[in-house]
Amino acid sequence: MSAWQTAAPIPLTGADCFLRAFDAEARRRNGASHLSQLVLRLGPGFALEQFCDLLAQVSAANPLLRAPVRRPFGLLPPVYDTLRARREAAPSVRFCEASRRSESVPDVFFERLNGTQDLRRGELLCFDIVRYAGGHEGTDLAMTWAHLLFDGSGSERFVEWLAACHRGERQPDDLAPGEGAGIAMGAEAATGTAPQRGGPRARGQRARAYQARMASFAERPPRSLAGPLRRTSQALHYGVETYSKDETLCVVARAQQQAGFLTPVLFYLAAAIRAHHAVFRQRQLRAASYVVPVVANLRPKGAPSAIFRSHVSMLWFQVFPEQVEDFPTLLGELKEQRLARIREGFLENGAAAMDFARWAPSRLYARMAERVLKGELASFFFAYTGDFLPGLSKFFGAEILNGFHAAGVLASPGSAALLCLRAGHLNVGHVRQQGVFSPAELSTFRLQLRRDLLGLDVER
Amino acid sequence: MAAPSRAELVRIIFDILRTQLLSVGSEFTERSSLVDAGLDSLAVTQLLLAIEEVTGVWVDESLLTPENLANAESLAACVYELQRLAS
Repeated sequence: MSAWQTAAPIPLTGADCFLRAFDAEARRRNGASHLSQLVLRLGPGFALEQFCDLLAQVSAANPLLRAPVRRPFGLLPPVYDTLRARREAAPSVRFCEASRRSESVPDVFFERLNGTQDLRRGELLCFDIVRYAGGHEGTDLAMTWAHLLFDGSGSERFVEWLAACHRGERQPDDLAPGEGAGIAMGAEAATGTAPQRGGPRARGQRARAYQARMASFAERPPRSLAGPLRRTSQALHYGVETYSKDETLCVVARAQQQAGFLTPVLFYLAAAIRAHHAVFRQRQLRAASYVVPVVANLRPKGAPSAIFRSHVSMLWFQVFPEQVEDFPTLLGELKEQRLARIREGFLENGAAAMDFARWAPSRLYARMAERVLKGELASFFFAYTGDFLPGLSKFFGAEILNGFHAAGVLASPGSAALLCLRAGHLNVGHVRQQGVFSPAELSTFRLQLRRDLLGLDVER
Repeated sequence: MAAPSRAELVRIIFDILRTQLLSVGSEFTERSSLVDAGLDSLAVTQLLLAIEEVTGVWVDESLLTPENLANAESLAACVYELQRLAS
């Protein structure tokens, strides 16, 4: 076992603390944890016993996976308390058999996202496995984790590492500190701080600039389809539409042509905004604005990247209904905002603001976000994660037929669009809180998204 | 101040990539693939802003083709052409 895995409690990043705040808020209001999920749809041949054995070894060698997340003495910045990691909190595997496989995702995957995991007891990661016809029709596997254990990129790296361990190319205890938690041992681990650029004054100025930008959104406050934050039990469901290879080629070409090679995300975001806008119109609602956060990966580029903890900041976009009617206008506006935010250092400001979540009580921080956006957290959540596990074709002996990310979405905004590419197919995931979309509205949403992605009504 | 030559642009872009944006070792050269080296959507935007700051030339996103973003040399060629057209 490496020194970093046992030497000292591991500090949460600022982004982790921000997500921890949302976990507390989601549990308080909606009775569910703030969880994220990665789904692998596998062909026949999945080695279940080998998977369970290896997971036990990985868990034993990496206490972070079962470490209570807590504030030392109730005051200091939160840590993964690896010294108090309990065997009972090791990642669990829930297994069930089903007779026939269907296109839709098994209900147990939604149930998991609607449940709770107690961070203070180290319940951070679990797996649900559904095997069809004794394995002859394949297996579906969901990895669900407390959103702060990995970010999206880290979760894919974890799966790749598990697969490499199964192939014998890696070992359950071979993660170096930089690769494991993305930290250098020594002073940082001892003091519970993470790398931060600039002194406290500079970071304070950055955080204030971030808050000021957020406050400016309130001049035309955002609206979501689920309405302001409320107390209701979380009951979400998601569907994933997989585009054909020809359709995907068309979408990817359009995205690169219109939004740029390496920067296609805004194309997908524009389509997702217009799909929500179409539902607003159908419901005869007019939002003063749409506000959408987009996660940006802050890992060093080109270096072996960290698996655990979140290494992200957020870009926020705000657009007005009059900018949404026309796709090129909307895309142009998003491009301008993206450039302006990066130019003004908004990502660094966001990282500084989230660093303050290390010290602020989680409820206070969540309330602050709510107050600034006038009762809404965002109009919807969005992510485009590019190629999903691009280097991995098999997982524990079974071919990966498809794979994608899903995530919890609070009762408000109640909707999240999550897109990725897998083996030449575009996966469009739509997570929604029960009752937020009527069947007719879901149809409108789906059709508008297809129209914009495929360019089916360019005259609009 | 005279506009940088094509060779100078290669050096400027290479230095930005190596010292500000990418965690790369000595194996990274002016002809190394930028995508393989880890350039992503955020880094490419930061690269364009840094190039603008140093040279005054803005590379529009429509020019971010796989060919122009192949390596530091090809991107420098694109910037040089924009600089030449503007002068």
